[in-house]
Amino acid sequence: MRTDQHTKPKPALLLALGQIRYQLLLLVRSPLGFFFAIVMPLLLLVCLDLLTPDAASAMPPGLHYAQFLAPAVAAFSLLNTCYVNTITTVVLAREEGVLKRLRGTPLPAWTYLVGRLGSALVTSVVAVTLIVTLAVIAFDVTVSWRTIGYLAGAGGLAAVSFFLLGLAVTTLVPKSETALPVAYGTMLPLAFVSDVFFSSAHAPRWLHDLASALPVAPVTRAMESAFLPTTQSWPMTTTAMLTVGAWSVAAIMIISLTFRWEPGPIRSRRR
Amino acid sequence: MDYGSHRAVNDLSFQVRRGEIYALLGPNGAGKTTTVEILEGHRRRTAGGVRVLGVDPARGGRRWRQRVGIVLQSGGLDAELTVGELVRLYGGFYAHPRDVAQTIDRVGLADKCRARARTLSGGQLRRLDLALALVGDPELVFLDEPTTGFDPTARRSAWEMIDELSTNGTTVLLTSHYLDEVQRLADRVGVLSGGQLIAESTPSALGRRDVAETVISFQPWDTVSVPVSLPDGPWGPPQRHGDRLVLHTVQPTEALFALTSWALRQRRDLRSLTVTRPSLEDVYLQLTDDATVRSGAGDAH
Repeated sequence: MRTDQHTKPKPALLLALGQIRYQLLLLVRSPLGFFFAIVMPLLLLVCLDLLTPDAASAMPPGLHYAQFLAPAVAAFSLLNTCYVNTITTVVLAREEGVLKRLRGTPLPAWTYLVGRLGSALVTSVVAVTLIVTLAVIAFDVTVSWRTIGYLAGAGGLAAVSFFLLGLAVTTLVPKSETALPVAYGTMLPLAFVSDVFFSSAHAPRWLHDLASALPVAPVTRAMESAFLPTTQSWPMTTTAMLTVGAWSVAAIMIISLTFRWEPGPIRSRRR
Repeated sequence: MDYGSHRAVNDLSFQVRRGEIYALLGPNGAGKTTTVEILEGHRRRTAGGVRVLGVDPARGGRRWRQRVGIVLQSGGLDAELTVGELVRLYGGFYAHPRDVAQTIDRVGLADKCRARARTLSGGQLRRLDLALALVGDPELVFLDEPTTGFDPTARRSAWEMIDELSTNGTTVLLTSHYLDEVQRLADRVGVLSGGQLIAESTPSALGRRDVAETVISFQPWDTVSVPVSLPDGPWGPPQRHGDRLVLHTVQPTEALFALTSWALRQRRDLRSLTVTRPSLEDVYLQLTDDATVRSGAGDAH
């Protein structure tokens, strides 16, 4: 009867683009997501810069504190956009049964995840652009094309790895109420030891080394170096890039083993 | 299908024909949702064979999913999207979706097109569920308790929509614990209890209801002499229930003819005469009771 016209599925690339649009629409409609992604980092930039005199910021001579703060806050906004928001919204969608419903349609699973990643990247670009623009206009931060290029490179790597880590963490969160505490409870300590709020130049050696082995510090330090006028080459060592890569691969393995579309904690015999 | 040591569905077998409305009826915990979720491809079975539209749902790819519409018992929605946005979004997953506005109109939500999902009532949400299942123009629709929590008006209109689906050639697999719903909608009904199919037939013949005893009762005019003055007829021993006389018969036409012609001859009226057949509910309760007893004090689910 009508089977013929029904058999050829819609091109998956179109579906993936539709999913990016769908996730962005959800973000725009969600006050909390918008606050975490855009408002909170901008507030931090303004408040921390006003409250911290250059003399107290241990900056190299001749540099404003904002020269460190702007890329640090940009890194913080990536953590919020790609890690925290991914955890809270994916867990909510799973627990509400949205994921289960989507799974019953011809939408391929990967296009949903690509939609999530794509919308996180678009939001990141908007947030970081706003932060850098404000820093340049209001706080005398100087940037060059090279600065921007390094920031984009390290920031892009950060965004993808934070997204993967967030997605992996969702599989360990049993219900929506625990998503935000888990997200912030893991993100804030990491951010503190990873030079997001303060430079760890004066931190104990062991703490600095521990942070280097975790997934946040390698990219945040690179983003901050990108803004220093002394930085003339790609600001990540091979070790730093391998560290980020290893964490991302581990996250992908956790996702492929335990990511689920149905509500509730991990259970056996689910598809 | 096992959950640990708990076997939710066991030795269950049934077939649904193309274009038919098939109802799975059973008490809570009977295995209805487990069965439907296996058929939908949401759950993996631990044993046995299943084919839906000629395909094993556990391996049903995108082509198969395009031909199936699902109304979950508890499917979530993005609360901040509008009815129109959601139906358009889900329609976009299919190669040849139905018209979005027509689909919304069909489930009676035309005036809610711009309303966010979070503002809808329970009944409106279920209608939106149905719209999302239908927008892909499926050949087969799964409806898991589609009218639970509806008010009578909403149920009536949902029934009309389901009827219309079937008229247009869509196959419907329905689960319900409402007997009137099954009676009204289903071409065939399977009764599930303890994960097993304990009966299957048309709603009117379920449990041999079509040939079971009919009960005739009326208020006799002379309360004393009744058993004596009653004519011969195809019924068992008359019983007194309060001020009513109750007759059981398997030949209701002849019994009524004998009874009414006798009353006319006497120029009397058979006051508050009722003729009742066992309701679907009676049969269903009888069936599920029997199944519980057979499986040992109801420990099977």
